Amino acid sequence: MLDQKPLELILARNFLTNLSTPAFLVDARGGMIFYNEAAGGLLGISFEEFGRRSAEEWGHAIGPFSEGGEPIPIEELPTTRALRQGRPAHGRFKIHSVRGDEHQIESTALPIVAEGGQEGAMIFLWPAVT
Amino acid sequence: MKVKVWGARGSVPAPGPEMNRYGGNTSCVELELSDGSTLILDAGTGIRGLGVGIAAELPRVNILLTHLHLDHIQGLMFFAPCFQSHSEITIWGPSSPEASLEERISRYISAPLSPVEVRELPCSVSFLDTPASEWEIGPATIRAEAVTHRGPTLGYRVTDGDNTLTYISDHEPGLGAPLEKLDPEWISGYDLARDTDLLIHDCQYTDAEYSDHVGWGHSKLSDTLTFARRVEAKRLMLFHHDPLHSDEFLDRFGEAAAERWVELGGDPAAIELAAERRELAVAAPAPSPALT
Repeated sequence: MLDQKPLELILARNFLTNLSTPAFLVDARGGMIFYNEAAGGLLGISFEEFGRRSAEEWGHAIGPFSEGGEPIPIEELPTTRALRQGRPAHGRFKIHSVRGDEHQIESTALPIVAEGGQEGAMIFLWPAVT
Repeated sequence: MKVKVWGARGSVPAPGPEMNRYGGNTSCVELELSDGSTLILDAGTGIRGLGVGIAAELPRVNILLTHLHLDHIQGLMFFAPCFQSHSEITIWGPSSPEASLEERISRYISAPLSPVEVRELPCSVSFLDTPASEWEIGPATIRAEAVTHRGPTLGYRVTDGDNTLTYISDHEPGLGAPLEKLDPEWISGYDLARDTDLLIHDCQYTDAEYSDHVGWGHSKLSDTLTFARRVEAKRLMLFHHDPLHSDEFLDRFGEAAAERWVELGGDPAAIELAAERRELAVAAPAPSPALT
């Protein structure tokens, strides 16, 4: 059986695909289901190569990490707040590319709420202002 | 299941001698189900002609609306069964958090746009949001899903016995998306149209015209053909003709469509442009003979 995505996620993916701002799309459980080419450049690997990951898997692979390099608990991430509270959330932290490069970034997560409820969230990344 | 096209034009009625063969009426398709009952897809101006023929004989009618743009509801007020007390009409359409289906349709069937109000119609009429899951009307199983267009818009999959028809009159699945490469789960309308026996699909623009209409909610030819091939539709009917496209233009458009369809591996006999009063039977292909 095909896991046809809700139209809201399809439209979000189409939108992110055409942006130059690094951006991720997560499902309602926080699993990473897409990221765009700009995010692929930041991570050092395209989405086609990286594939979908659960929240735990992609957190382990790329972060985010605190200033001290410690993994940030899922409950404290902007994405989690966006999904659980249906509110936009912002954060500042580090991520790693698959090559080991470290990036200090700011991130905003925007929930995608459809008629049937919470469908997921869009997460945008910007280089942190130092 | 039998199909009859009563209106194949998009956007606005386009009457005139240069439009006679494909017709100038807006979206309306009649389905005759296996038990003889009638299901109507959209209520553009084409429904007026349909209503003239069935008013006396068909007291119960279901109308499935894809969305509430005027070219899909304009004929409702001129649908003869609406003005007969013995008619029972059920109108299905997309839900909205803003207002009920009846309230939204009543914005058209009310002053100053209309001389009558919904409550004044002598027929028995009910307005229902399409369910999130499949439901049945007579012998048919219906599925409605949201598709890419401007505003809340549905496509429909109608299954009657072994036969399936998919109707996506207004659809821009290629908006910002490379249709030929995307995984099926990310293609708007894919599940509705997968393996369907007849796909009636938006094809308003040529590829050249589309560049001036990106995001308007309609498909260019190459996207319609790619979508139809991706979903492996058995047969394709190009629908929602642009009001500027004359018969002569559509003849050439149809020839180009057939050539490209064949280049994509399609059967040249399995593609056509919708034309008013066109009738055809929807049938699943005969099974291949078993290998011995």
